[in-house]
Amino acid sequence: MTFIALIPLFPLIGFLINGLGYGKISKTAVPWIGTGASLLSFVCVLLAYLNFKETAIIVNLFDWISIAGLNVGFSFQLDQLSIIMLFVITGVGTLIHLYSAGYMSHDEGYGKFFAYLNLFLFSMILLVLGGNYLMMFIGWEGVGLCSYLLIGFWNKNTDYANAARKAFIMNRIGDVGFLIGIFLILQNFGTLEYLEVFEKAKAFHVGDGIIVAITMALFVGAMGKSAQIPLFTWLPDAMAGPTPVSALIHAATMVTSGIYMIVRSNVLYTLSPFTLEFIAWIGLATALLGATIGLFQNDIKKVLAYSTVSQLGYMFLGLGVMAYSSGLFHVITHAFFKALLFLGAGSVIHAMSDDQDIRNMGGLWSKIKITAITFLVGTIAISGIPPFSGFFSKDEILAHVFEHNKIMWALGMLGSFMTAFYMFRLFFVTFKGSFRGTEEQKHHLHESPKSMTTPLIVLAVLSAIGGFIGFPEVFHLPHRLNEFLSPIFENSRLVNSSFGVVHISHNLELILMGASVLVAVISILFAYMVFGNGKNVPVADSEVVGLKKLVYNKYYIDELYNKVFVGPISAISFFFANVIDKKLIDKIVNSVGEGVNFSSKKIKELQVGVTGSYILFMTLGILLLVLYQFGPSLLSTFNLLQNK
Amino acid sequence: MYPIIVFSVSGLLMLFLGLSVNKKSLLPYNLLFMLVGLASNFLDWNAPGLYFNGMLEISNPIILVQWVLIFAAILVSGISSRQFDDTHAYPAEYYAIMQFALVGALIMVSFQNLLMLFVGLEILSVGLYVLTGSDKRNLRGNEAAIKYFLMGSFATGIFLFGVAMFYGATGSFDISSGNSVANNLLEGKMFFWLGMVFIFIGLLFKISAAPFHFWTADVYQGAPTVFSAFMATIVKTAVIFALFRLAAYSFNLEYENWSKFLVIIIGLSMVIGNVTAVFQTNFKRVLAFSSISQAGFMLLSLIGLGAQSYGNLGFYSLSYALATISAFGVFLVISSNTIVEGRPSENINVFDGLFSRNPDLAIILLISMLSLAGIPLTSGFWSKFFVLNDAAAKGYFWILILGVLMSAVSLYYYFNPIRASFKKTDLGKIEISSLSKYTLYVCAALTILFGIAPNILRSLF
Amino acid sequence: MVSQFGFVLLFMIAGIFLVLLVLGIARILRPSRPNPEKNAIYESGEETEGTAHVSFNLRFYIVALIFILFDVELVLLFPWASVFGDKALFDDTKGVWAIYAGIEMFIFVFVLALGLVYAWKKGHLDWIKPSQEETNFKSPVPKELYKDINEKYA
Repeated sequence: MTFIALIPLFPLIGFLINGLGYGKISKTAVPWIGTGASLLSFVCVLLAYLNFKETAIIVNLFDWISIAGLNVGFSFQLDQLSIIMLFVITGVGTLIHLYSAGYMSHDEGYGKFFAYLNLFLFSMILLVLGGNYLMMFIGWEGVGLCSYLLIGFWNKNTDYANAARKAFIMNRIGDVGFLIGIFLILQNFGTLEYLEVFEKAKAFHVGDGIIVAITMALFVGAMGKSAQIPLFTWLPDAMAGPTPVSALIHAATMVTSGIYMIVRSNVLYTLSPFTLEFIAWIGLATALLGATIGLFQNDIKKVLAYSTVSQLGYMFLGLGVMAYSSGLFHVITHAFFKALLFLGAGSVIHAMSDDQDIRNMGGLWSKIKITAITFLVGTIAISGIPPFSGFFSKDEILAHVFEHNKIMWALGMLGSFMTAFYMFRLFFVTFKGSFRGTEEQKHHLHESPKSMTTPLIVLAVLSAIGGFIGFPEVFHLPHRLNEFLSPIFENSRLVNSSFGVVHISHNLELILMGASVLVAVISILFAYMVFGNGKNVPVADSEVVGLKKLVYNKYYIDELYNKVFVGPISAISFFFANVIDKKLIDKIVNSVGEGVNFSSKKIKELQVGVTGSYILFMTLGILLLVLYQFGPSLLSTFNLLQNK
Repeated sequence: MYPIIVFSVSGLLMLFLGLSVNKKSLLPYNLLFMLVGLASNFLDWNAPGLYFNGMLEISNPIILVQWVLIFAAILVSGISSRQFDDTHAYPAEYYAIMQFALVGALIMVSFQNLLMLFVGLEILSVGLYVLTGSDKRNLRGNEAAIKYFLMGSFATGIFLFGVAMFYGATGSFDISSGNSVANNLLEGKMFFWLGMVFIFIGLLFKISAAPFHFWTADVYQGAPTVFSAFMATIVKTAVIFALFRLAAYSFNLEYENWSKFLVIIIGLSMVIGNVTAVFQTNFKRVLAFSSISQAGFMLLSLIGLGAQSYGNLGFYSLSYALATISAFGVFLVISSNTIVEGRPSENINVFDGLFSRNPDLAIILLISMLSLAGIPLTSGFWSKFFVLNDAAAKGYFWILILGVLMSAVSLYYYFNPIRASFKKTDLGKIEISSLSKYTLYVCAALTILFGIAPNILRSLF
Repeated sequence: MVSQFGFVLLFMIAGIFLVLLVLGIARILRPSRPNPEKNAIYESGEETEGTAHVSFNLRFYIVALIFILFDVELVLLFPWASVFGDKALFDDTKGVWAIYAGIEMFIFVFVLALGLVYAWKKGHLDWIKPSQEETNFKSPVPKELYKDINEKYA
């Protein structure tokens, strides 16, 4: 049991050492402490897993809050779901820490960076290990904060700082939903502990209004954190952070916490088919939108960012059709190959002297061999070519979608086609053809140090074979993941008889598989025809026209948001701040400040005028309140008195 | 009850000490008096009952709130170190007035009789009018003092009018008489209602709830920063608890009536406070508008008005006081190091590069801003969580949604100083007196402590 | 049935009525022949100059404040005295009543006296407040020079 408490403790200690000792600890010790903390945490997860038997373990460290009507413990819950998530977080996390040791070594805020990374890891572990919704929320906010800190890490640049703030505020808007969900749960169930909530949820009927409200509210939170329509625009902007951050937070772990949350609350969602349908469509739309925008991006990290948005969409699509374990499966494989791709991209950027534009790359295959090969593995994995990991998870999702709704399946295949296309476009343009950068960049081209390539190789291996934890049924090989996760969905099976029933025949399954492989292969060939020779390079920004321009500019969604939301709020605030407050009040205050030039008489007049108008406003306020409050009742009382 | 006596006497002592003692040794005396007051408060522990012929009520929860008030006053005194060193300052008078104002605040949280509430309110307010204008050479301060005084008197008038109506309807000033009369009078009821609304309005003015907030920004900006901090914390706490007492003991049978307009005031406060703060460039104005929105949140617990609300409010008050005092404290240090046109600059850009100038202050600022914004693992999160949960319990979901949304908006301006403090700069290091340093450490440490283990504080109430 | 306050009201009405009545009779009876000399402000024969709206010395204000302080003290002292001398209460409590009431009033007067002492000590009672303010001004001329000159021409 002690191992469970140790899992979050190590990153916390790492954070404290690196954070408090910032500037005092030598630069060689910093990565050891940071990576060591992460690795120790991983070891603890492993030990905890080895000691784990079937039933969930609850560890209550102390009572967080215990007053009448509100009793929340600082408790951890170790079960199949949290074990899987912990493996992904600490495993991939350790590799990314290792990678950062090389990647960030030239940065002056080295210690700060590792402190933030450890803090992130701590928050993320709280999120998945917490035994109640409040713990999840604490972690949820914590990762948001770390994401803010890490995106704004290079905060010399105002754009980056703005991107950081945008990410945080968008997340916060999602959190509104999450918090309301929490309050709803608290009001209706009287507790926030998972086990108790799910136990009580069994008493509800499928489609109960309260459950729908709770699940919808929680899903709004997931939309924010996992970058779903309409709250996805922060994720591409978040690429302003250092690349390891993009890999760890904005691809592998944090953005999947929305999926974790839904899988965790699977009972509630199973009780609310309406929400599930909604999630499925949102997921599908996001998958397609992300994929189309990804088609024309020229920033290597932006392509990966939109691909992340799109893949997250697939995960939600899977959840929406009640294929919870498939969604989680995709979380795992995605963590492998997307972390790999991002780290590979980081290695490319490193080699390119911090240039991220793929139009300046080309022909890197021979220059940075390890990076190129591992990147190819990641690209194949995400495109869904067997036996690489992405194939298994994506195919499982699509199979479930097919069973649920054929149109959704077709659209999903379309997205899958685009995915393979833009990923191979990225690969060909970057690594094939001839080098298009400056002489200086060419001179600098070099393979990254060992600490960076080792994680790449490990992740490449995982991306290649990671799918073997869940073979499709048709191969008569064990689906280890499903078997392992099965107890998590016990309640779902109880409340909804349609959960987990598979109607699909083996033949059909094979056909679907074949179809998806075929689509991927055609798409890759298509990409090869267009970009394979390395001659066909995306055009400069100004030459993009027509429909393509719309997609290139991300459908102008950012602009739309600015117009519709930010604009009016800014305008109101600007009005309050500058017109009412500055013009009306400040002006007078200022003129008093320059009182030397004014005759005292004039100031007096102004002063009295303003205070008078304040009082006028107040009086009006009072009058309105009294009328609103007592208008009707006063009238009736007067009538009564008169009648007397 | 004892601290009221202690502070009445020590205020006088303070005045005379000012005649004989060196200016710089006044602060230790002030802290000593406040600690004595704090200690004397516990003489009343476990001795609940009515005192002074039924004028004041003492019970353990009330003592805890008084403890919060005195503790906040100690912290405010802590950050005032070195602020009154120049020749034109009269710290003895300031500290004496602070202690007298504290007497008013203590009365306001324990009154049993509306007259006592009025006396407390006036002792508190008159002291603050003076403190606001205490920097006589600052025109803005003078203007603020006059403005505050005029508007404060106006509000007091309304309040008294309400008290008169209350008396007219019930024939008593005792707060418990509200309930006894509410049900059986028809003719009196109209006066009772009007009195209730006017009493509420008079007090809502003092915690600067919209639409009675107009004075706030000007007064916070004009007053010396130490006293802005005093205003933001102690006045707010005292008044909100006075409101709570009234709501719980006099008007709880009329809940349906007043909650209807209170939610509107809460909504207005949250929206106006947060939205207006976004584009402010003066940090004191930012904190003023933030205090308006925080007042909105505090009022949520009145809407909740359950068994837990008193404790929730107590938790909120202390955590808000800790965060606000540390924000003002950090600002005070930096702004007095950044002189623009002969006066300490109050623009947000004074925080530029704080992290490299004094990392400790930057971290404290970060913690305080996060707490004000209500981010988890700071006490600010729990305080918001508690009051929102209170509101949710009564089914006011729209105000809940508004509250959470507005706290998202608030991030926008709470992050401005944080962002500024991590900028690069080549300005020199900032020195800080050890007393204010330790005060700020205490604030930050408690903010984190209550954020991680809120039960320590929450279970006391 | 007229209540106690009703009598007060009647008195007030009667008072106002009487004043108006007398003034009205005077107006009817008197001759009215105004001239500039008559309309001028009477200031003991001096001719008035300027407006009456001028700033007073702030000291008037402080003296007035202190006066008010003791004025208000009397307002409390009178009713207190009438209760203090209540024979029935005195007998009931065997004199303890008088001791307590006396002490209370002493405390009250003492606090007020403290205020007076404070104002006195601070020099607010002196008409011209003595104030020697050290300036930060560093004169290039050494102080000794002034001293020498002063002594020389003393």
